[in-house]
Amino acid sequence: MKLYLYGIVDSSNQIEEAIYGLRGCGVYSIPYRDIGVVVSEMGQATQGLTEGGVLEHEAVVEKLMADFTVLPMRFRTLVDGRDNLLAMMQSYYRDFKGSLERLRNKSEFGVKVIWPADKVKENIVNRLRSDQTEASGPRRSAGTRFMKEKFERYKIDEEFQTKADQFIKAMDMFLGKFAVEKRLETLKTEKLLLDAAYLVEKSQACDFREAFWHIKSAHPGFKFLLSGPWPAYNFVGLSKHDPARDAEQANLFAEVARSQALVGAGSV
Amino acid sequence: MTKSANVTLLEILDRVLDKGVVISGDMVISVADVDLIYLGLKVLLSSVETMEQLRGSPFAGPMQEAR
Repeated sequence: MKLYLYGIVDSSNQIEEAIYGLRGCGVYSIPYRDIGVVVSEMGQATQGLTEGGVLEHEAVVEKLMADFTVLPMRFRTLVDGRDNLLAMMQSYYRDFKGSLERLRNKSEFGVKVIWPADKVKENIVNRLRSDQTEASGPRRSAGTRFMKEKFERYKIDEEFQTKADQFIKAMDMFLGKFAVEKRLETLKTEKLLLDAAYLVEKSQACDFREAFWHIKSAHPGFKFLLSGPWPAYNFVGLSKHDPARDAEQANLFAEVARSQALVGAGSV
Repeated sequence: MTKSANVTLLEILDRVLDKGVVISGDMVISVADVDLIYLGLKVLLSSVETMEQLRGSPFAGPMQEAR
């Protein structure tokens, strides 16, 4: 029997509400010590767990959010049988417990900002051209012109990046005040200036939203998207590795220590 | 599908397919084609024009309050 995992919750109690997950399967919690893992039994067939299932997965996690602190699993995490599931819980318990504590009473907000990249670049080019006109000298050779053009492209890119950094810094100073953790990705594309996730205390959510609307109204030429509150998908990175990899790493360290002993590195 | 639903779906896909707890080890059945789904999604997300077309729509998903 394959078990489909939706998330880890900070309680070993059973879910009181009837929840239906992927393909309408019943959702229940399997306790492990003082936490629980929320699953559906999927039988043998795992086909059909495609895009449509994403919404069903997310709907279950959202429902869990109402009553628990949740560590949402990545889509299509399947475990082969209850014994393997309990082995996984034993292996990851400390990590799960630590993350649940860290994320208690917090939720995630997504912020995306699109800026008028073409206009920003155009302004930079115009300014550079006007500087050049003022400082125009004698006719240059083809080689010099090539180098000059290359340098200009570099200057444009550099200034574009500087402007992006300045904006993001200013915005993040404002929003970051109300967040406990953040993940910022800048200039994923030329136009997508910022793709960010902020982890916000539930008690600070209103202030965070207010700060967002304030920034939005101050930048009429930009396009803003705020989404949330979400389960903390962006903040559940685990430090736990699989046991085989840990053992391999331990062996490697032992090997290095042996090599150092052989060459007398420890005595230096 | 409405524009607002599209944005909601993109936000959900970006999280559920690419983020969240990842368990490694033999006990977990690896489902490699998730990456393929996400690859397709990346193409969508990279298309900023997709988002630009959605400007001004009141995103009204169950959890969203984006503008």
